[in-house]
Amino acid sequence: MGSYYDIDAILTDAQKVPCTFELTVPGLGYVEGNMNGDMKQGSKVELPLWLGEMLALSQSLNTSSLVTLDTPAALAPRVMNALKADARTVDLRALAPHFYNLGARILELFEEEDMIEVLSDSFKSRAAIIADQAHNPRGALGEGADFMRGLDENERQLFRAAHDSAKAVRTWMADLKKQ
Amino acid sequence: MALPLPPGLTPPEIAFLCEMELVTVVPRQRLERLELLGGPLPPLNPPHRTALPLWLALLLKRQRRANILPPPWLSPHSLTAILDHETTHEQGFSPPPRLPPLPSQNTLPFSPPFLPSSTDNAAPDALPYHWLELGEMLLEAATDDFEDPDNVRKLLRGLREVRMAKLRQGVEVLDSEGGISMNGVGGMEVAEGRAFVTGVIDGLRKITVSREQQKKDKDGEQRENGYSGTAEDYDDDEMDMQ
Repeated sequence: MGSYYDIDAILTDAQKVPCTFELTVPGLGYVEGNMNGDMKQGSKVELPLWLGEMLALSQSLNTSSLVTLDTPAALAPRVMNALKADARTVDLRALAPHFYNLGARILELFEEEDMIEVLSDSFKSRAAIIADQAHNPRGALGEGADFMRGLDENERQLFRAAHDSAKAVRTWMADLKKQ
Repeated sequence: MALPLPPGLTPPEIAFLCEMELVTVVPRQRLERLELLGGPLPPLNPPHRTALPLWLALLLKRQRRANILPPPWLSPHSLTAILDHETTHEQGFSPPPRLPPLPSQNTLPFSPPFLPSSTDNAAPDALPYHWLELGEMLLEAATDDFEDPDNVRKLLRGLREVRMAKLRQGVEVLDSEGGISMNGVGGMEVAEGRAFVTGVIDGLRKITVSREQQKKDKDGEQRENGYSGTAEDYDDDEMDMQ
């Protein structure tokens, strides 16, 4: 998915997800901050998504996988309920800068039909506000400022695109008057 | 992105295309028939109305050699009716002008910009594809040819607001497979809405990509179970899709 050099995909993969070690790993304690120690079975560590995914999916010779993944805090049921209640008031950027990309990556790993629904519904309802704000810059600075601060990276790009095209039309109309 | 320009046409490019539209002028000076690359231009005889491309009409207007007759849909009366239609019908945009009946077999059917949708005999009750840019350009260059330019300008602004709001609200009913009906949307509106609408669809597709993948897998399994005899062919197809 996406280009190899896609900086957003790289940053998404660098976000931390909670993992539980299923096996004791000798000498890996430094991941927890425990120098020279062992990684105990059952200890919970926050690992970057790319590492956690690789460890969770790799099958060693005869045992189950090395770690199990949990859904990150940004996609916890509490957040899903808040999005269901009113998607417009949730500060996605505080939860995860690449909230929707993280959601998409997690959905590749877990089968959660509900989460797909909630995420796409909130994306749609927030997109409508983004479009309004992009056409009305006064709103973005005044009462809409809190909402604009809570946009995730995808939504920021959307805002930029909508704003730029509206601006291009306005510029054309202004140029027309100059001639 | 390597190219500095976003996909699609920019507003000045659309305005340039719009200058091919025919408008009706009342010439003030004689002009011989002109042979241009785009086809011959009819000779201008002062009191007779002639249909000219917009670029030439604007040029002659600036030199005070002709007056432009605004198309019938650019009158306050028609615009008010269209604006009424837009505000009372929440769904969809006001319909584009009807296409003329198909010509006989051996000729190609005409489509804009070769249809005279902005001459003085155009349909008064529908907005053609280039309504916004044509209206703005005429209001700018030929203000004195309008009966009530301020009112027309106000109505155009109102129409634009209403229709852009509809385009924006349309995304709330979108899903990654469906679309919004964009019948009757003009060229400049497409340019303005393109980046936003495609951005929303891309975002939705990213979110639902896992569901699509599941569906694809399931279909693949069913095919393999159902038609084991031709499974190889289907496998080839799947390779192509990925």
